[in-house]
Amino acid sequence: MTSGQRKAHKYIWLLLAIAIPLVMIFAVKDFAVFSSKVTIEATVAGSKKASLKSFENDIVKTAVFESYIEIILKATLKNASSVVYEMDEKGNKTKVIGQITTAGIYEFTINNLPKGIIIYDDLKKVEITKFLF
Amino acid sequence: MGLDYKLVLWNKYKKTYDKIIAASMLLYIILFAAITLIFNSETSIETIVIRAFGSLAIIMLHIILVIGPLARLNISFLPILYNRRHLGVSMFIAAFIHGGFSMFQFHALGDVNPIYSIFTSNMDYGSLTNFPFQVLGFFALLILFLMASTSHDFFLGNLSAKVWKRLHMFVYLAYVLIISHVFLGAFQQETSPFTIGLLLVGFVVLTMLHLKAAFKESKVDNTKALEKDGWLKVCEVDEIEEDRAKIFTVANERVAVFKYEGKLSAVHNVCKHQGGPLGEGKVIDGCITCPWHGYQYLPGNGQSPPPFTEKVATYELKLEGSTVYINPEAFEEGTEVKPVNC
Repeated sequence: MTSGQRKAHKYIWLLLAIAIPLVMIFAVKDFAVFSSKVTIEATVAGSKKASLKSFENDIVKTAVFESYIEIILKATLKNASSVVYEMDEKGNKTKVIGQITTAGIYEFTINNLPKGIIIYDDLKKVEITKFLF
Repeated sequence: MGLDYKLVLWNKYKKTYDKIIAASMLLYIILFAAITLIFNSETSIETIVIRAFGSLAIIMLHIILVIGPLARLNISFLPILYNRRHLGVSMFIAAFIHGGFSMFQFHALGDVNPIYSIFTSNMDYGSLTNFPFQVLGFFALLILFLMASTSHDFFLGNLSAKVWKRLHMFVYLAYVLIISHVFLGAFQQETSPFTIGLLLVGFVVLTMLHLKAAFKESKVDNTKALEKDGWLKVCEVDEIEEDRAKIFTVANERVAVFKYEGKLSAVHNVCKHQGGPLGEGKVIDGCITCPWHGYQYLPGNGQSPPPFTEKVATYELKLEGSTVYINPEAFEEGTEVKPVNC
């Protein structure tokens, strides 16, 4: 290679070394759930406390307590994005509660008792499941 | 084109290289299909084809991109550089099958033009996370097509090595588009971090090797030579092996000083074919032979032996005692320079 080509290769790879990780980081950061202020906590054991309300279908089993919601995801979903939203009386999603990923038990802190819950794929814009309490 | 024109000047090395490429590609596709069907028997044939050829293309692209820096860091990797263009064309074929099946599967079964559908089926261009990743793959495939279709020596000869090299450096743009295509595609459609993890490992390895090779070359470029009456000191004559060269930097350009048959000659280090480092080659049958593709030049005048017409610049040398000096002013390409006896 000529000296010009050597320099071009060097600067191209220096640029790529900076640009590609930045694109990846911003792509992940741009995802609303990851940038939300909601605290997401996963626990390994289900609660023994008495729940205020509960619901179960083929996908999840959920129980609402005074200050948190417990969601048991029975099997890992095929959706890349599974965001848990509060639902209003009209069945619309309102506030983000958190995100579920693999099968397991999740606990999400809540301030008020929601009317219901929607689990929604934010990437494909499809509803996975929902239920009213 | 003459009556004896041949599309590819085959030799046994090229044939062996291509057989290894074809066998490896076939083995990968079979293994991918078998493993997919074992773990998910409901996967459709179309999905297997799309995923197998897509992953094969990106693996091959990584191998292609890693060959250059590996060969600069260690000459034992030179044999895999020899027929890299055939690897590139094979990679394009894999990418084309992936893109063709994807276009058919996801865009050709409706009443909208498939290419129009690629650009309009997801209009979330304002979101980085949900960006229509198929568009990125489409543009990458166009670049790969441009490169594969101009990879033949016919285009290299007619476009000139400089233009051809610039054109083929678009592979880096294709790489950025492909890595973004796979990253966003995997991020939007898969739950497993496996694909993204592999992609990141590949990117880190590629970047590290390219930068390591680049900084090694910069170090050589910045070497300062001792000057004496307008001549630059190269080395002691014993430092050059018989039929081999010492590579020396003159005004940021590399010069190869060859020792052969008790003589010394210096030529510009860059081969006219694809920019290979002549000084890393050796003198075979009285000709300097490029280590990349075997192009040859006469050491005394930098000209390829007839009927070939390639020429490289030559330099004047002198020997004081056992020390070799070079005049940094290059002669015109192909200029006869009397070799120095040593």
